[in-house]
Amino acid sequence: MDYNVADLIYIILALPVIFSIVAAVNLLGKNVLHWLNRIFASAVAVAVVLLTLIFDPETPYIGEYIYLDALSMWMIIIIGTLYLAFAWTSKAYLDRDTNKRYGYLRRFGRLEGRFYALSHTFVWIMFIVVLVNNLGLMWVAIEATTLVSALLVAFKFTRTSLEATWKYVMVCTVGICLALLGTIIVYYIQLNFIGTDNPLDWLYLSRHSQEMNPALAKFAFCFLFVGYGTKIGLAPMHAWLPDAHSEAPALTSGLLSGALCICAIYVLIRNIIILMPAIGIDFISGLCLFFGIFTIAVAVPFVVVQRDIKRMLAYSSMENFGLMVAALGLFVPVALQAMLLHMFNHALVKYSLFYTAGTIMEEYGTKNMMRIHGMMVQVPKTSCFLLLSIVAILGMPPFGVFFSKFYMLYGFFTVDHPWLGVITLVLLAGMLIGILYHILRMLGSRPKRKSSGELFGYVDSLVIAGLLIFSCVVSAGLSQLTVLNNLLECAARIILGGVA
Amino acid sequence: MEYLVVFLVLVVFLQTRITNLKRAVVCLAGQSFIIAIACFFLGLSNGEGIHALLPGILTLLVKVLFIPGAIYHLVGKLKNEREILSASNVNYSTMAAAFFLVWGYFIVEKLMPGSVGRDIIAASILMIMTGLALMVLRKRAIIQIVGLITLENGIYLLGLLMTEGLPLVVELGVFLDVLIAVVVLVILTSRMRLSFMTTDTSVMKKLKG
Repeated sequence: MDYNVADLIYIILALPVIFSIVAAVNLLGKNVLHWLNRIFASAVAVAVVLLTLIFDPETPYIGEYIYLDALSMWMIIIIGTLYLAFAWTSKAYLDRDTNKRYGYLRRFGRLEGRFYALSHTFVWIMFIVVLVNNLGLMWVAIEATTLVSALLVAFKFTRTSLEATWKYVMVCTVGICLALLGTIIVYYIQLNFIGTDNPLDWLYLSRHSQEMNPALAKFAFCFLFVGYGTKIGLAPMHAWLPDAHSEAPALTSGLLSGALCICAIYVLIRNIIILMPAIGIDFISGLCLFFGIFTIAVAVPFVVVQRDIKRMLAYSSMENFGLMVAALGLFVPVALQAMLLHMFNHALVKYSLFYTAGTIMEEYGTKNMMRIHGMMVQVPKTSCFLLLSIVAILGMPPFGVFFSKFYMLYGFFTVDHPWLGVITLVLLAGMLIGILYHILRMLGSRPKRKSSGELFGYVDSLVIAGLLIFSCVVSAGLSQLTVLNNLLECAARIILGGVA
Repeated sequence: MEYLVVFLVLVVFLQTRITNLKRAVVCLAGQSFIIAIACFFLGLSNGEGIHALLPGILTLLVKVLFIPGAIYHLVGKLKNEREILSASNVNYSTMAAAFFLVWGYFIVEKLMPGSVGRDIIAASILMIMTGLALMVLRKRAIIQIVGLITLENGIYLLGLLMTEGLPLVVELGVFLDVLIAVVVLVILTSRMRLSFMTTDTSVMKKLKG
């Protein structure tokens, strides 16, 4: 069968929203819903694979509202992979909640439809974020992701999840409102210095970025950086991140950490590409490096003293986002490619970590790591996956994260920031010690409660193993996978300002 | 236009002093109404056709009728709820608002000397800062929502003045987002009333570190 790029984009945008309407109506039986969810997500994944194969990175697709280039293609691959993983792990997660004696779904029944409708809408809006061509619409979509995911974070409406959601909505909405102010200033610059054609169109603006007024562009960039930085979870504005990630259902935490914050980085990158020629590289690079490394520095002490397993993972996400933003501030091709690769690796590994942590939490009935002992003896398969994913996220050699972290740090030493590189390495070492200490305590020592049997079924073991192996294969064999390699090189070129 | 700015500043100052939830919501509706009139005024003086009228009509529907209506309906269900503050705290908020107003004029003079909409820009900076102050300093969920809408109104007014309105699609999207945001916040507040028996956000302090 022959498809062109436009058809595939419409398929990717249509299927999730069709399924979420079907799920929201909530007339279907539970099993039909689970299977439809898998079928729709797999169809989207197939469309993403086909799109990757036929898409030529050098010639972006330009539609009326849609713009697809190598950078957005890479984001679609990340979101599509997570979408597939979500669909194939959701049944096991929701069933576990239903079968437990005091599970939320058991008490209230038939909430699966609502959960699926919200989750698929969430993924759909993230696809929109990376596909639209207009800075204003990107803003609208990012704000919409906050609102939809807020309902997912508060899905169980417990006291702590309400608190987390309230903080999430309030902090993120204020931040995003500042980004709106930044976008308005960009539009003002466009009206006064470039012209009234193609309002806020990304491609048009990036072709005319030389004509902007430097002072106003700097003013706009400050608002945009603070606004989208709040959504990424950069250090002084990060208050919502650990709460929302730890209180959401595990599947949602995985999507939040793996895909949503990445989308915010993507929109920030789009804005940087436009504003960079006017502002100059030094200002942007300084802000990115400072806040990136500051975020890592803030995350480390919280990991070391943490008791709550999902909060610990949330702080580990913060560390990774900090590293990505710092690598973005270096503006060299090596670091930028590594950053894009790290987005992919982090998303896959963090999703599997959150899923594993959620499973352990449900079975042990506690989030407190101090109360979980001897997992290696009682649940060998689950602890094996936990250990592998933890080792992967910390950046040990056989796994994908190693390659991306290594090249990002290599970037520090190539652009005359060796001391920043050393500081980052020390902070990452602190992270490694903190996380390994907690996890090894959970895995080792003698069990103090009765075993409840193995936690993972066949399907979710396969999915988690698949995610880990996929990230490993893509990172290690990147030079052999020409399609992805071209895509990454082209995306890094776009960030550096070489728009086709 | 000058009268509008005077009324706007008056309403914002009133907002810093109100502790009764119902009156706060009515005040918010009044503030949005002034913004709607400003939209019509600016829209008709700049252009014609649907794009000139649409922001005003949308503001009227969404921010004057729907949002205050939804919050008012929620407030009706709450009993014995008012912002608990000492008189000095209210006075500090008003003082802060006065400071923001002076500061707004100062910024306008510094950044865009001699611009036409000097008063409106200062008023929108006042709204942005007062909205932030309401969200940070006040404890009641309803007042925090009012602060959020005030902040949004301020940014919207600033955008309207600086760029004569965003592109149409973006404008519609922004309104949709505000609408959904209020729906989500109203859901959360009513859930909060069920689980905590109060809408005082200062009881929520379990998540730390």
